[in-house]
Amino acid sequence: MVGTALMVGTALIGTAARTWRFGLCAALCLAALSCGGGGSGGTAAPAGTSGSSPAVANVASVVVDAGPAGTSDVNTLFATVTVCVPGSTTNCQTIDHIQVDTASYGLRILAPVLTLSLPVQTMTNGDSLLECTQFVGAYSWGPVALADLQISGETAKSVPVQVIGDPSFATVPAACSGTGMEEDTVAAFGANGILGIGPFAQDCGPYCVSTVDNGDYYACSSTQCQPTATASLASQVPNPVSVFATDNNGVIIQLPSVAAQGAATVTGSLIFGIDTQANNKSGSQSVLTLDSFANFTTAFAGQSLTQSFLDTGSNGLFFNDSSLAKCTAANFTDFYCPAGTQTLTAVLQGQSAVSANVSFSVGDAQTLGANDPSLVAFPTLAGSYPGTTASFDWGLPFYFDRTVYMAIENATTSVGTGPYVAF
Amino acid sequence: MQSARSIKNVKKCVLAGGLLSAAFIPCIAAAALGEPEASVQSDLAELHGSIKVAEHANYRLHEIQLPSGTLVHEFTGPDGKVFAVAWSGRTMPNLRQTLGRYFDSYVTAAQANRTSRHHLQINQTDLVVHASGHMRAFSGVAYLPPAVPSGVTIGELR
Repeated sequence: MVGTALMVGTALIGTAARTWRFGLCAALCLAALSCGGGGSGGTAAPAGTSGSSPAVANVASVVVDAGPAGTSDVNTLFATVTVCVPGSTTNCQTIDHIQVDTASYGLRILAPVLTLSLPVQTMTNGDSLLECTQFVGAYSWGPVALADLQISGETAKSVPVQVIGDPSFATVPAACSGTGMEEDTVAAFGANGILGIGPFAQDCGPYCVSTVDNGDYYACSSTQCQPTATASLASQVPNPVSVFATDNNGVIIQLPSVAAQGAATVTGSLIFGIDTQANNKSGSQSVLTLDSFANFTTAFAGQSLTQSFLDTGSNGLFFNDSSLAKCTAANFTDFYCPAGTQTLTAVLQGQSAVSANVSFSVGDAQTLGANDPSLVAFPTLAGSYPGTTASFDWGLPFYFDRTVYMAIENATTSVGTGPYVAF
Repeated sequence: MQSARSIKNVKKCVLAGGLLSAAFIPCIAAAALGEPEASVQSDLAELHGSIKVAEHANYRLHEIQLPSGTLVHEFTGPDGKVFAVAWSGRTMPNLRQTLGRYFDSYVTAAQANRTSRHHLQINQTDLVVHASGHMRAFSGVAYLPPAVPSGVTIGELR
């Protein structure tokens, strides 16, 4: 399986057998010797932004493009962030191609792209605070450092951020490394970092203040790491939006429509705050309140999918529909390949009675972009979801041609209290 | 279902409840998936969990609660071996421990099959893994298709 993927990827990446995988690049880099750890992405000026880039203080330009050198993912949304050594206005670095993820919380930067030396948070006994960040199938390990942060005109001081794959903390505790594969390089991660701006304020929350063996946080001396509770909520890696000085109650993501055949670049806006400025007013959107896991219910094809979520970090729409043909090529087996583009509908419902009808299209994943390797944004990419939970993962295609609001837990706006999504 | 008890009370690798095989099985260090039922106890010890055991028609369910709150379900069949491991909770369990000798093939397949940070499907003839979730809420199951007892539906493995 791996051998097949490697050969296909090396020979045909960008052509008919293009793959939509995470992780494949690790193999590609070995073959191509072209991935030096994301060096090109480290200090470049914001890439992918155009002359129309908004200059409003609470609006960051976001882009779907080919990603950092050595990666091959599609439908991946990126932002640019600036981090500074706390208290400094000159010892700063602007980093592009940070993936925007609404299903995680916190800013995490891959160590190879970071040229700054950010101070690592320490415990009262002098141990360093480390984190084992878990995603499905993979983990990222590294210290929790402090940085002054700027995204568009929004700023926050001394924000805990994770530095993933820091060689100073190379030994990963077994309880962490046992959770999956390691994603501690740009090639493996598919981005120079990740900006988790989902509807919670911290990556763990009160649980990790009260529980030592929480699975996330570790205190490490020079010789060993032990699970630890965090000293406070404030020492955890936060959703950066929640610690902005202003416009800190949520975000709005606005992306344009994308042609069915795909696009090479899609530029949109990440707007900070809801009902805090003239440009982020709530309208007549459907407000779907979320449960304690940031989920809502999707009614689709006779299923009540109670653990559904909006996720810019997923590259397609993922759900189960036995009437849709699955792809047959080895690299596409999770994806749908209907004979012609199918238009389907679902009803999304929050904790309250509010619901919203959504129409979406599913195309043949194997042929998307098959004749034009420059295309990386596809509005009809969809695949199946694992049978373990009743979920509909509304990935990035959901965001095309929409304005989507996401309010943070306990934050208030003119239309409600978070966590909620509205569109 | 029996009441929970801490690993601290488990002095020997004794099988709980009505026994399918011998009353006492030597402790082994190997982990659970594909291993004899006694390996559940090594998982329990390694994961610092507490356990409940419940009898079902075609399998025995061992529920291990980790200190993090995450639940690990290990399913043993009439042959006395673990044929499936499921998990749910706010953090992932140590799959190297619970998948044992299948962990490496899990990681290899994950690298080749992953389409998202939020879900994963591995469908091999010898190993199936379905995992999903997002930060603060993970769940999944790994099972050995040839070893699933007759009469057990995949939907029960959670």
